[in-house]
Amino acid sequence: MPSVSNSHKTNEIAVSVRGLGLIYTTAIDRRPTLKARVKSLGRGGKQTRVIRALDAVNLDVEYGQVLGIIGTNGAGKSSLMRVIAGILPPTQGRIEVYGSVSTLLALGVGFNPSMSGRDNVYLGGLAAGMSREEIDNHFEEIAAFSELGDAIDAPMRTYSSGMYARLAFSVAATVRPDILIVDEALSTGDGKFKEKSLNRIKELRSDDRALILVSHALATLEDVCNDVAWLHKGKLVQRGEPKTVIAAYREFLQVGKSAAIDEDV
Amino acid sequence: MNTPTQVYEPFRAGLPPLGRYWKSLFSRRTFISEYSRSELREQHYDSAFGQLWLVLNPLLLSAVYFLLIVIIRGSSDSMRYAHLTATLFLFYLVANSLTGGVKSITAGQRLILNTAFPRIMLPISAVVIAIFKFLPTLAVFLVIRTILGLPFSWQMLWAIPVLLITMLLALGLAITISCINVYFRDIASFLPYMTRTLLYLSPILYEASDLKPQLRTLEIFNPLFPILDSWSRALVHGQVPLASHMIIGFGWAVGVFLIGTYFFLSREREFAVRL
Repeated sequence: MPSVSNSHKTNEIAVSVRGLGLIYTTAIDRRPTLKARVKSLGRGGKQTRVIRALDAVNLDVEYGQVLGIIGTNGAGKSSLMRVIAGILPPTQGRIEVYGSVSTLLALGVGFNPSMSGRDNVYLGGLAAGMSREEIDNHFEEIAAFSELGDAIDAPMRTYSSGMYARLAFSVAATVRPDILIVDEALSTGDGKFKEKSLNRIKELRSDDRALILVSHALATLEDVCNDVAWLHKGKLVQRGEPKTVIAAYREFLQVGKSAAIDEDV
Repeated sequence: MNTPTQVYEPFRAGLPPLGRYWKSLFSRRTFISEYSRSELREQHYDSAFGQLWLVLNPLLLSAVYFLLIVIIRGSSDSMRYAHLTATLFLFYLVANSLTGGVKSITAGQRLILNTAFPRIMLPISAVVIAIFKFLPTLAVFLVIRTILGLPFSWQMLWAIPVLLITMLLALGLAITISCINVYFRDIASFLPYMTRTLLYLSPILYEASDLKPQLRTLEIFNPLFPILDSWSRALVHGQVPLASHMIIGFGWAVGVFLIGTYFFLSREREFAVRL
């Protein structure tokens, strides 16, 4: 198995997030059009919405750490991941990243569904700044890990969502970045593949890499993480021992649920 | 303590640091070639029939337009057919860059949401694809020109700078329209009308010298007008293009490219939240 050696030591800083704030404007329409804009002229309707996604977040991630990020929908988890990966620029604060980052965010690999899985792996890797040789070296391992077989050369539009997720995870985990960010990708795939990917994550952890996992699968996080951060409405609520934080979060969810039930009545 | 490999801080309005941007773009040049190649392969332009279609399509178009000219004007000659074919092929380089470029950002959604890379790579790839589609038609034109018996001359080399100007213009237009399409997704559906209008306003079905002088004062507003006229003069007539046309065409291309790129670069960091 080709392995890129990791030059970082345990407890060395991997990512430092200081006073991070993220505010962005987005279109209200899923598909904003000129036609809709012209039709609403003079009616003064708002076309955009300002979203405060993150507010004064401080977060350090060290090598050897597997950090789980939990929180309800819209808590800012994915935004935080995108800022760390350099996809979204922060509005306030400063993010320092010490090492190479590989991202596996919610939608995974592949941007052109009419191209084959192979082409998508190459294009995704090249876009992320890898060289063709690097991808060549990893490709066999990626294909083997994903267990896609001949389907790797079929257009990605023929893939099931599980196949998509498997390929995406294989790419991100095989490349062996210093810092791996995985967003909601563990919840797809069958039981066997899930176990396989968890094993790979533990392997990367013992290899002193830094991992950040975003997931709603609390039991899984409790199993693999050695640190958990809880985000709520863009703020960091609690950070620490997985057991403690997840227990607090579970309690919060229960309270929220019963409050909602009370409101219904 | 190590120095960070990446630092992300709030940006001030305007452009990203251009030096770093260019370096990161240049280091990803394999992406552009690989992307164009797999895109062409996916559209089957790597097969013999695919190549044939690539050539056949503009050739049939030029035949249809030639028929139109013959019917409207009553007569026509080989020079006019050569002019029509040459300018139509070059026009399609620009039109294909526009149609390929317009959706390049919105179609690259998955990649943009998941990877940090210079977004401008996507419209650039669209133009590279259009250039690959253009090259065989250029070869076909040279064959047609030989069959028609038009003399070859050194002045024809003026076509090279004209082609470079056209590529720069096509790149500028593709970059601009790909960015506009993020904010107004229906631009793609207006595009066929725009290119069709541009086709009729450009000296393709007619020659620039056919127009009344009053009409020709308006030509300065159409960037393709001076470019196509220079192209035809050089490649079809074997003459040196008008200096004024070369300058106006170059000015338009540089202007569109700079303004479009500025617009794109100052906006691209919010594409991820707009898609």
